[in-house]
Amino acid sequence: MDLYFWVFASMSVLAGLFTIAAKDALPSAMGLLTVFISLASLYLHLHAPLIAIFQVAIYAGAILILVVFVIMLLMAPGERLAAIQANVSYRGSGALLGMCLIGLVLVGTKGVSDIVSMKALPEGFGNPSMFGDLFFRDFLLHFEVVSVLLLVALIGGIYLCKKKL
Amino acid sequence: MDDWLIAIIKVVGIWVWVLLIAVVMTWVERRGAALIQDRPGPNRAGPFGLFQPLADGIKLFTKEEIIPTNAQKLLYIMGPLLFSLPAFSAYAVVPFGDKIILGGKEIILQVSDVNVGFLYILAIGSMGVYGVILGGWGSNNKYSILGGLRSTAQMVSYEVPLGLALLGIVFVYGTFSLRDISLAQQGTFLGFLPNWGIFKQPLGFILFIVAAYAEANRVPFDLPEAESEIVSGYHTEYGSMRLGLYLFGEYVNLVTISGIIVALYFGSWHMPYIDLGAYLGPISWGIVSFCIFFLKVSFFLWMFVWVRWTLPRFRYDQVMGLGWRGLIPLALFNIFITALFIQLTV
Repeated sequence: MDLYFWVFASMSVLAGLFTIAAKDALPSAMGLLTVFISLASLYLHLHAPLIAIFQVAIYAGAILILVVFVIMLLMAPGERLAAIQANVSYRGSGALLGMCLIGLVLVGTKGVSDIVSMKALPEGFGNPSMFGDLFFRDFLLHFEVVSVLLLVALIGGIYLCKKKL
Repeated sequence: MDDWLIAIIKVVGIWVWVLLIAVVMTWVERRGAALIQDRPGPNRAGPFGLFQPLADGIKLFTKEEIIPTNAQKLLYIMGPLLFSLPAFSAYAVVPFGDKIILGGKEIILQVSDVNVGFLYILAIGSMGVYGVILGGWGSNNKYSILGGLRSTAQMVSYEVPLGLALLGIVFVYGTFSLRDISLAQQGTFLGFLPNWGIFKQPLGFILFIVAAYAEANRVPFDLPEAESEIVSGYHTEYGSMRLGLYLFGEYVNLVTISGIIVALYFGSWHMPYIDLGAYLGPISWGIVSFCIFFLKVSFFLWMFVWVRWTLPRFRYDQVMGLGWRGLIPLALFNIFITALFIQLTV
């Protein structure tokens, strides 16, 4: 079997388990960081260096840092998550969302059985220029719609936070 | 097998070389401070005090390692490791010379010429902040936490103008690979200007160097470790080699940043107006290009020291204001102008 895959796949699963089981907020965030980085290693293994870099730069380097920033602002070192974890409504909604996610993954894996033979990668697979073509030529409309959605979210966030505009 | 050997030699060689520069930089920093403040500085250990870093190293290695009672052990120990690991691995995609031909084999003087080039540097660079956060949080000390918080906010804010400034360079040269960008900087344009990034992206260079100073936590942006306000910020509780890793990682970061500045904006290994590669043999050109590259790098390393002992520290709201209200609009403006220019000329 593919040793590289097993090492990083098991690492990401274990780190994911640690993320939801950790008693402290910051170690939990570090578990999530490990998940991101081991996933990035798997992308590298799949000859997609650009996605790996995006995974590290955007998820680990920007989003998680904001999460950590909020943790540092709102909690004190050594403060436990027990009160939050014991909350039944949180647990219930977490279970519901988790079920939805598993359902989505199952729908996604339905196509796996169609894969019968391996194909050679096209020339220049995973190049930055290929991504540019995908984003700005083939799927331009989708890309722009998503960026407008993000802009709306941004304006909405500012509106909700500012008492006086 | 040969390829493996070459790769290993390159990795170990450049690693040792960068560490060596970082060690010498600690000496340069103190002597430079002394020079600017008109005092002798450390001059007892060896000629001109050159063995001072060695003495410091021995001191740090032999000190007792203390973990504060109330610290969160795991986070406290992981902090320096997570800070220095990205610092040590960021140099992998920065070139350190043109190429050298040994025994009919062409060896490029760069550990790895990947086509995602400086996206890798941005990604790895943003990892360093976790070391600061963990150190500050794990120490369980209010000054440390303040330092960690400041550093997070600062790094997140200045990563945006840093990335946007680099985007201008991508527009001009059309590639992410640092080697391709370096190769494209040969010769002149408009008849008299060297084909360097600084002449094509003057505003981009200013934005990049300001953001890079902030990312490296250097004066005037050294708020995470502002001695006069929060003792020494995130590494207040650290001692022995753990502290050493923090301090050392910072100097390694300086070497990497200077390398990027030279490779992107200052013609990499090219001399202005003269193409030395055409006159020298393959081996001597390899060595000469390495020397040219590191001469330029050492100038920017000196500039870090120079700025540190010349400028006062910003106030915190000034740092944030400069980042969000000054640099980001300017960086967007720079991108807009560059894109417009390229659209009209190409």
